[in-house]
Amino acid sequence: MTAPTVAGPFGALREQLSDAAAAFAGSADALGAILAGMVDDVDRALGERLEIFPVCHHSPASALAMVRRLRAKQPRVIYLELCEDLQPLLGELRNCRLPVAVQAFASELSGFPADAGPLSVVAPVTEASAEYQAIAYALETPGVELVLVDRSTDHVFQWSPRDRPSDGSGTAGATDGGGTAGPTATGEESGLHGDAVGVEIGDLRPRFAELEAYLLHHGKVRHWSEWWDQYVERPLADADHDTYRQVMVLIGSLFRRLRPAGEDRLDRDEDRERYMWTRMRQHLATSGVDPADCLYVCGAFHAASRVEQFGLGSTAPDFEITPRTDTRWRYGLIPSSHSAIEAQFGLAPGSVSIAAATWTKAVSRHNLSPYRLDGQRTGTSRGRRGRAPTAPVPTGPVSDRLTGFLAAAPDLDGLDEAELRGWCVDIVRLARRNGYLASTADAIAVFETSVLLAGMRNRARPTPYDFADAAVTCIEKDVVPGRRDVRRLCEILLGGDRIGQVGYDALPPLARDVLDRLQPLGLALEKRTVQRALLDLAAQPELGRCSDLLWILRHLLPPAAVRPIMGERRLGHRSVQESWDLALGRHQRALIELGYEGVTVEQVLEQRLRRAVRGPDATAAGALAAVEDAIRLLDSPRLVDELGARAVDLLAAERTVDDAPDVLRRIRRLLAHYRASAPTLPSWCAAFVTTGYAHYCTLLPTAIAAEETGVRQVGAMLGFLFSMEGLALSLGCDRSQLELAVGQSHPTAPAKVALLWAARHQLGLLPLAELRARCAELLANPLVVPAFPQYLAGFVHALEPVPTLAPFVVETMSTAFARLPDPVLLPWLPTLITTLRDQGPELVPLLIREAGRTFPEALPELDSWVPPWVAPPSPAPPSAVPAAAVSVPRRRVGVLLAAHPEAVDAVAALLGHDGRWQPMPDPPVDRSRASALLTGHPETAAAVSVLLGV
Amino acid sequence: MSEMLRAPAEVTYADELDFLESVDTGPKPFSWRLSPRMVRLFVLGSERADGLSREIPQKWFGDRSFVERAIVTLASDRGLLLIGDPGTGKSWLAELLAAAICRNSTLVVQGTAGTTEDHIKYSWNVSMVIAKGQSRESMIPSPIMTAMERGVVGRFEELTRSTSDVQDALISILSEKYVAIPELDQDNIVFAQPGFSIIATANSRDRGVNDLSSALKRRFNFVRIPVVTNKRSEAEIVRFRTEELLRRHRIELDVPPTLLDILLQSFADLRAGAAAATSDDEKLESALSTAEQIGVLEDAILHSQFFGDRTLRAATLAGSLVGSLARRSPEDLAILNKYLHGVVEPRARKDDDGWAGFLDGGRQAIASLS
Repeated sequence: MTAPTVAGPFGALREQLSDAAAAFAGSADALGAILAGMVDDVDRALGERLEIFPVCHHSPASALAMVRRLRAKQPRVIYLELCEDLQPLLGELRNCRLPVAVQAFASELSGFPADAGPLSVVAPVTEASAEYQAIAYALETPGVELVLVDRSTDHVFQWSPRDRPSDGSGTAGATDGGGTAGPTATGEESGLHGDAVGVEIGDLRPRFAELEAYLLHHGKVRHWSEWWDQYVERPLADADHDTYRQVMVLIGSLFRRLRPAGEDRLDRDEDRERYMWTRMRQHLATSGVDPADCLYVCGAFHAASRVEQFGLGSTAPDFEITPRTDTRWRYGLIPSSHSAIEAQFGLAPGSVSIAAATWTKAVSRHNLSPYRLDGQRTGTSRGRRGRAPTAPVPTGPVSDRLTGFLAAAPDLDGLDEAELRGWCVDIVRLARRNGYLASTADAIAVFETSVLLAGMRNRARPTPYDFADAAVTCIEKDVVPGRRDVRRLCEILLGGDRIGQVGYDALPPLARDVLDRLQPLGLALEKRTVQRALLDLAAQPELGRCSDLLWILRHLLPPAAVRPIMGERRLGHRSVQESWDLALGRHQRALIELGYEGVTVEQVLEQRLRRAVRGPDATAAGALAAVEDAIRLLDSPRLVDELGARAVDLLAAERTVDDAPDVLRRIRRLLAHYRASAPTLPSWCAAFVTTGYAHYCTLLPTAIAAEETGVRQVGAMLGFLFSMEGLALSLGCDRSQLELAVGQSHPTAPAKVALLWAARHQLGLLPLAELRARCAELLANPLVVPAFPQYLAGFVHALEPVPTLAPFVVETMSTAFARLPDPVLLPWLPTLITTLRDQGPELVPLLIREAGRTFPEALPELDSWVPPWVAPPSPAPPSAVPAAAVSVPRRRVGVLLAAHPEAVDAVAALLGHDGRWQPMPDPPVDRSRASALLTGHPETAAAVSVLLGV
Repeated sequence: MSEMLRAPAEVTYADELDFLESVDTGPKPFSWRLSPRMVRLFVLGSERADGLSREIPQKWFGDRSFVERAIVTLASDRGLLLIGDPGTGKSWLAELLAAAICRNSTLVVQGTAGTTEDHIKYSWNVSMVIAKGQSRESMIPSPIMTAMERGVVGRFEELTRSTSDVQDALISILSEKYVAIPELDQDNIVFAQPGFSIIATANSRDRGVNDLSSALKRRFNFVRIPVVTNKRSEAEIVRFRTEELLRRHRIELDVPPTLLDILLQSFADLRAGAAAATSDDEKLESALSTAEQIGVLEDAILHSQFFGDRTLRAATLAGSLVGSLARRSPEDLAILNKYLHGVVEPRARKDDDGWAGFLDGGRQAIASLS
């Protein structure tokens, strides 16, 4: 046990606590050390020359004490526990409506694991907080300097355990309360911070769950916020400065001393304390300010610090501050909300709103004038700037206020009937509006129950939490009729969620640029509601630029921020009319974070597209998608060429053909686009086709034999090879490469065998008759029949590379339906249907068209219908083409060639063919109709014959 | 007391109630025997900080605020409706509250499809009516009317199982606080004495059977009792209730902590499975409540006591679990089979700790039921 020193203002208290420890704990060793140590901490913190102002986050009592102290002391320098690199941003708070969060964001990491990014830190600022009062005072009072002394955001991540970078904040409840409010957070407003790490001034909460559970249990409350409100917040609301400081340091010391041993987080906290004291000492040394004119605002936890650098009188060497990494941090303000803060720091739902309401009430009750930044857009109309400064009050010697505070019975607030009655009436009104069958009787019952509940919980005045419990008891029945239950309604009633907004001037250049460029739409885009924009591009061509911008934003922002209702932008297609649902106000954070990436959206898009094709997991298909986006959205041939060239490289480097279907679809679309819009094919496109031809020829034998490669992929490869063949050959490729590749392919899987047959047929190596014969053999062989559906699946996929095979596929499928035994056919049918559905857009129309041509159109015809493949073969055609068989277009070609025979003769000579020109047969004359006419009406003919004397 | 198979709470805990009454200095509403704070203490147990000279054990396990809300409702003008899944301890809480407030938890009306208005108000002793005519003497008051006359708490179990018109008889009782007896010419109104209130329970799964009318809903405060999912409290509840049962059956048998863990864990697993199920066929019909766990354990204990070697074994527990939970064949059996082979088997292979015996017992039970 540490020997108590009876000297000093707290000697009596220390002695009293030691006696109590001895009396209650039997042996006073451990407990006595803790209790006496706490008093020592208070003594030490209050005896410090540099005035320490301990605070707790979102505590109206802290804010009130801060206002009073600032008015009394008028400090010239304020040291604030907040990341030092956030300082330049604080001035921008003027342009915002609180709550907003100061954010540091880094997506290009250096010195951190690449997969940890993007790193983001937020420090929310609310009006009812001590730090806001300090900031407002410092920024609005001439000659006052505000110095942020905590470690930089870079250090937040440097010091955090590497395996859990998001756990990095030492300040925030981030670690306790599941500090990142990302995907788990429910509700849109509570997810406003994204997955950022939260830092907060003055985190004050038990460091281990058992202590918190113990306090809650004995405090007869359910949540930490409620405990704090009842046992600290309310007693301290009216306390004088000394009492406030002493009690806060005492609580900070309590939580510091009761903590799990060997906690990583404490080491970080102590390092931070060393950092802050080092920074303050450096500042005092360089500026020469008298420490008596300074105020150090920090969490109560840090006020009870025992690090060796603590205090201006310390002789310990300065803490060695590690350099920051090369990570490029961007800074900005993002909108925040009460529910986002609660979710981020694990506070009870509604607690920040209740704190805000308490603050507003306390300010009016004590007739205080809080500080407020000039030009601040406030959520309340009570905005008043600070009053003229009063004369500073000299600080007297420290006297013991703790003994009195700890010994005094709690000063019970009397029942504020009017307030409670107001709540009761309002909650019933609100409940009724939300579908509850609530009535005045319920208001009375809520009132009565609130008072009874408060009495049961040892308080005369029902707290908002009692009131909420009472309302739930009396109004909530078995079902919730509307969207919100009574508890949520109570939260709304007791302050409601307030959502901040970052003003135009505090936005990053990109966001301002976006808003400026969307100005012609004439919409209030800062509002949080969804705005409908109608763009008639034919009537107002000047809106085309807005449309371009909206399509880019559509690509970059979350889907709900910018949503097209009508109109689309595809390759080579622009809509004449577009309508959009814009919710940029609601998604302000996304827009602001976009601003960290560049100055204009075009630049950001360009960077993202480049990143997409340069990344380690980039694929050729992805690169082609980037090319499409670049054409669609940016219209920058230079970038398109660059991305296209990268696509060629990626394709050549790919060792698998998994993406072949996607590659085929995209390159076809791009080729179609270029053929329609450009006189020549861009060089990258030609390179892609030739590279692809060679690439797929090389991979074909392996892919077709490999088990892990699907039929669809092989089908797409063959599709590429056959459909690009013409282009590839014209660009210098050699067909023999393909023939060799097909020759080397020896698949084992039935579906791939069928694909190969189709390929050989396309190459002219396998006539249709033989193909048909092979299929007939398969069906005839009882050992192979069960595998026949797989062959058929292969043929269906072969429609992609060999569309001319459609009649044969229809024929084979019909034969299969006719001849396959049911045990084979029926299990296969679902597979066939799912295959066709998956690849429907490409294959089904072809099949249906062909089936439509083959099968009779009406049911009665079916009886007499003979399938074409069963019908006896038509007599062999004569060698000379009959005149009737020569169609009109062919006839025209014939006439043209006959008139200019030189080219054909030259080709024939080149090929060594000694052919002779045959005369074109005369067009056939259809005489049947004339004879039918004459037979029907023979009078004229008879008259003529009589006339002629026949 | 020793003659009773199951004594009501006010008899079982008579000592505690006497003690609490003797030390209670708090204000008491109406004719309550204990102040609200003491009622809470009786239900939730005492702590050192309460400064009592004897320890009061916890009797109902759940969130403190539910109990507080229930107590203040009884002190107010409205009736209390405890609503929740079967087996969540609603009736037990109602009994404890009635015992603590007025030392009488037996004024109970059981709601069924056959409950009539007479059961809520009064009926007549026919032979006496014939002999002496209709008078207060020949009237048989219902438990609710008795509660009104004495100014104590009446209970209505399974309110939603009785038909709507019967339920609505409660409306006037809860509003006007009197029952008129039109058959009598004089002394024909029974007024409720101060302290009268009603605790009703309703099964949330049966809600659709006979939904309460809005008028009646308005006169009740609803306190929803959730299924206990906190493993620690659940272990407490199971231990507490099982001890009571063992005492009642005069059985000397230890429940090894590992087996209790296995039971709790298996219910937690099955609940997780039910939560993840997409259709009714994929989840057990049972609500998997704490009461069900107690039932499983009791069944296993009795089986071990009378048919086994007086030692509770994992296999017996598994057999009892399967027997209690397999209500539909084949759906429930298939789910249990899947659970045993998918979850228990790997566990048994990795770390025996009783799971192997549990697996064997479960398999045998399923085999015998299939």
